[in-house]
Amino acid sequence: MTQRVEGLDVFVCDGKVDIPNVYSAGAVQSRFLIELRDNKRIVGMRCPACNVVYVPPRSTCKYCFGQLDEWTDVSDKGTLLTYTVVCRPNPVQPVEPPIVYGIVQLDGADTGLLHMIGEADFESLRVGMRVEAVYREERKGDILDIKHFRPLR
Amino acid sequence: MAAESSQEYIQVPIDRSRPYRWSTGKYLGKLYAEAKDNKRLVTNRCRTCGQLLWPPKKVCGRCKAEAGEDWTDLGSTGSVVQYTYLVVPMWNPHMGEKWANPHPTATILMDSGAYIVHFLEETDPQKLKSGMRVQAVWREKEEERGEGLGDILYFRTIEEQEASR
Repeated sequence: MTQRVEGLDVFVCDGKVDIPNVYSAGAVQSRFLIELRDNKRIVGMRCPACNVVYVPPRSTCKYCFGQLDEWTDVSDKGTLLTYTVVCRPNPVQPVEPPIVYGIVQLDGADTGLLHMIGEADFESLRVGMRVEAVYREERKGDILDIKHFRPLR
Repeated sequence: MAAESSQEYIQVPIDRSRPYRWSTGKYLGKLYAEAKDNKRLVTNRCRTCGQLLWPPKKVCGRCKAEAGEDWTDLGSTGSVVQYTYLVVPMWNPHMGEKWANPHPTATILMDSGAYIVHFLEETDPQKLKSGMRVQAVWREKEEERGEGLGDILYFRTIEEQEASR
């Protein structure tokens, strides 16, 4: 636990702060996660007035503030809108670095979904490249049921 | 409405702890080193006012001057000033794990004059009393030491020749 600093009467000790937390997904996000978990399907919410499909879904349209209830399936393939590469290790990241975070606009959706890009060389990443979802083997009902998006071959 | 009344609601537990490291620094480090190497409790004495400081620190709280490195052995014996036998589970303050703590907690006035807070070996409330003489029991294996005051397991009641004093 404690390590002595070489040659000095100084010790360096380990500590940690536990931050237990529960994210309550709510009605709309729950259905999104359940479809992902049970059917490997990505669903969005459409606003008929504005003709906008939200992925991830939301209960209220951000343009007209209308209550939304029109579920629609979207593709698991999409376009990379932007990305960043994270190399710094950080215990709050979901996986070990290096991580590529990207925003993916799925075919049929009008908004971007924040997720990770995997199975790709950093050098080969391009804004506008085509990607597809890779699902987790054992899906548990959280957003990591999509393991990551990988370049479409 | 979007949600059927019988809908399942997802709750995602997020439990990622934040590790960190802290350094004892020079003064507390001396205490840690002496505890690890020699099973000895040391602290420094203010060179301006002569006050025994505990825990060892750089600046004397009374005269706000640099205390210096007049290291003093605290010894291993002392008297119980006050105690509680309410045995509550404690947390490791740095790692957050729960400690089983079967031992009463006491404030102990060391013979050298420092007040320290530690555990007592004696768990029978009938046998606890203020003023009883105690001695530190150290972790025996050198590799298990390195936690400063935590290198002392607890204080054991001792019978002394001069117990009547």
